[in-house]
Amino acid sequence: MARPLWSGSLGFGLVNVPVALFGAVRDLDVRFSQLHGRDGSPIETRRVCSADGKQVPWDQIAKGYELADGRWVLLSEEELTAAAPHKSQTIDVECFVREEQIDPVYYDRPYVLSPRDEAAARAYALLREAMERSGRVALGRFVMHAKEHMVAIRPRGETLMLTTVRFAEEVRSRDEIAEAVAAAPEPSAEQVQGAAAIIAELEVAFDPRRYKDEHRARLQRIVKRKAKGQKIQAPKPSKQPQAPVVAAPDLMGALKESLERIRGESGGVGPAKKKPVRRKAPAKGASAESETRGSTKTRK
Amino acid sequence: MAMPRSLWNGTIAFGLVRVPVKLHSATESKRIAFKERHAADGAAIEHRRVCVKEGKEVPYEEIVKGFEVSSGSYVVLDKQELAIADGPNARVVEVEHFVAEEQIDPIFYERAYYLSPGKLGEAPYRVLHAALLQTGKVGIGRFVFHNKEHLVAVRALPDTIAMQTMRFADEIVPESKVELPRARKQASKLELDTAQLLIDQLDAEFEPDKYEDAYREQLLALIERKAAGEAIEPPSREPLTPEADLLDVLKQSVERQGSRKRRAGGHGEGARAKRGEGGRGEDARAKRGEGDRATKKAKPSSSSGRKGGVR
Repeated sequence: MARPLWSGSLGFGLVNVPVALFGAVRDLDVRFSQLHGRDGSPIETRRVCSADGKQVPWDQIAKGYELADGRWVLLSEEELTAAAPHKSQTIDVECFVREEQIDPVYYDRPYVLSPRDEAAARAYALLREAMERSGRVALGRFVMHAKEHMVAIRPRGETLMLTTVRFAEEVRSRDEIAEAVAAAPEPSAEQVQGAAAIIAELEVAFDPRRYKDEHRARLQRIVKRKAKGQKIQAPKPSKQPQAPVVAAPDLMGALKESLERIRGESGGVGPAKKKPVRRKAPAKGASAESETRGSTKTRK
Repeated sequence: MAMPRSLWNGTIAFGLVRVPVKLHSATESKRIAFKERHAADGAAIEHRRVCVKEGKEVPYEEIVKGFEVSSGSYVVLDKQELAIADGPNARVVEVEHFVAEEQIDPIFYERAYYLSPGKLGEAPYRVLHAALLQTGKVGIGRFVFHNKEHLVAVRALPDTIAMQTMRFADEIVPESKVELPRARKQASKLELDTAQLLIDQLDAEFEPDKYEDAYREQLLALIERKAAGEAIEPPSREPLTPEADLLDVLKQSVERQGSRKRRAGGHGEGARAKRGEGGRGEDARAKRGEGDRATKKAKPSSSSGRKGGVR
């Protein structure tokens, strides 16, 4: 396996499990290099000292922090760990929570935690199994790359996953947006029921493997064709007319027509072609509900 | 009312309904930003793009994007060709399906955004928001941003619609690729029960406001010490010895946590979380007689010749 991004220990009560941290995400993007347009040769990014104009090797570069008076404080990577030695070496589990309490806004990056060696594997496996039984997620914190991270640790198969969690102060206020939304006229019950009926028609079980990165595939095809010397042209606009932007007065009409098209599988609507799992029964229920609720509203 | 800056203007489409929206970042990093400086003279470091063949700096306009098809052989794509890869519907997030939020493994979540209604978008925005709230479902679609496609979850917060980018399934390292050192001996039932007891003791609500980034202050304090001319000694590694008697250590943990809870009158959780670098770790360090306090004692003696210092 690759080199760990961080290694230290996982502290749970008085138990310390030596662990290593690995990335859980792999980069499958089509990566481009910078080239010099004139001669097609690669571009190298060089780090150069602004004072003497000479190239500076990586190990001669320090982290600089500018003080209010304009002076710079330079710190090395090792010195940075002195700010919080314990937290730089240990992920302390502080409490256990239910996963559904963590709003997805807080999730940042996922990692895999691995026991450092066979001796650590027993305590690791014990913690993993106890967590699986309790159905809880461990919340802890540690310092990596000169930044403190809150983390959520949970079992995934035989492994423990660690996901960094944002601090509340890193989540922006949405008050202004909420105010703008609230200022708009309230939708009618009939409109909401119409939209809810569309949602019910398009509901499936979440299967992440169903979705492939189409952009990546297109880019790979373009690169391949170009490598063969073919000319790349934009595809002709699709024959299917784009659905028009529906302004407020036509909203109900658009909702109704969407529902008819999805149910009738007339092929006019994009998602219908992708054959979502049909659930006729609940859909009918939803539409019946929408009619009753809609008429209640009219009677008022 | 000043709206936060938008990053993207586009449309959320479900069925034939199109909701013009603006995209706003829901998060921001509060990390202390460092800049690269030359350790020898403290001068700023510049990044220069240099042509390998000529050895000369190349202005940005002369740089093109090339994909390496085989060693040293590149296919160059221009801006238009890159835009073709964005596809015909780059400005539209078409909701393909709706799913129950709890079915989405958090491992897929990437970045969070808020959506605000765009031009003429107020009415359909409110309809979609109300319908998402009522059904408790999340819309799944795809979003092309900065020449990259993301899977997205469109979901209702109590007062706004949020959009969360997600990773594609193949971007997650499969479990089979994770090499895990295996334990020779399984945990005993008693060990498991004791571990679970400890988990129960530490059970809490997720209250994000309770957790503060205490490290930023510690880092700023370190910068101040260095600015005052103090030598910073990198700390020694804490010894990592896996517990010989796991059960014994678990029992001790449960006992300690129990007495701590009694002392704190059941409010131990919040206090401990707030203290940051405190709690369990502090006790553990005190036992070993090292840790943060030990570093603070480091005398501002002769400079050890490491890179750094105030310029």
